Amino acid sequence: MKYYAEIKVTLKDGIKDPQGLAAETVLKRTGINESASIRAGKFFEIELEAAKKEEALENIQTICEEVLSNPCLEKYEILKVKQV
Amino acid sequence: MKAGIIVFPGTNCDRDTFEACSFFGWECRYIWHNETDLNNLDAIFLPGGFSYGDYICSGRLAKFSPIIQEVKNFIKRKQGIIIGICNGFQILCETKLLPGVLTTNINNKFICDDTVLTFQNTEITLPIAHKEGRYIAPKGKNLCNMMFLQYKNNPNGSDYDIAGLYDRENKILAMMPHPERAVFKETGLTDGRKIFEFIQKELNK
Repeated sequence: MKYYAEIKVTLKDGIKDPQGLAAETVLKRTGINESASIRAGKFFEIELEAAKKEEALENIQTICEEVLSNPCLEKYEILKVKQV
Repeated sequence: MKAGIIVFPGTNCDRDTFEACSFFGWECRYIWHNETDLNNLDAIFLPGGFSYGDYICSGRLAKFSPIIQEVKNFIKRKQGIIIGICNGFQILCETKLLPGVLTTNINNKFICDDTVLTFQNTEITLPIAHKEGRYIAPKGKNLCNMMFLQYKNNPNGSDYDIAGLYDRENKILAMMPHPERAVFKETGLTDGRKIFEFIQKELNK
């Protein structure tokens, strides 16, 4: 069966995000919003074959831990897993 | 002294490293990342560049190349020294052969400049050229005895001004600056020679 997943990878708390900080500076300068805090992250879509949902989930977790994120720096969240 | 220079798709400092090693009379050969033979070598270089286009994250995809397992065996056998330069440092962190990780410079820019560093209680100047050189140290790990190269003016926001680490026990040396670009008078700086001399000295230990 084919499964589809959506993954969000973001920097761990406490690690400065230069992209977010740059965007915040612009927001303040333009007056769009003075209080907004922005953190940039990455979004991934995965499609894979698996016999059942548990197997798909296990594979997706391995992909997240080994390929899409580095636990020293980032955390990941599986936003959605569904059969397609 | 025999040096192997590993080449990944996207590596671009392999030739500079080859020429710099040759300057010291070291015998060199290139090793494609799909190969697995590190026999008869004393020093293995992971040179700078953009392995796998830095896709997903710099150094992330290179860690799955077959040669990496052989690099681990090389370390286990205590065959010699591993040297990671720039992207090589990122790869060594991603493979967890060195602690911590390198991420986007704090100013969000690619920095291409000469930078002053502290090396063995002296100041040396080497070129840097990277966008992901901000070293993040792992929490709770004492890195004091691994810090062998530090920025004087920390251009990228690295923890503890770290520009390079050296795991003395396993002989794994890595740095963001490019010593191979500072060997020949014709290209300006020559302080890179001190790093190559250090490598030679460590190998003879």
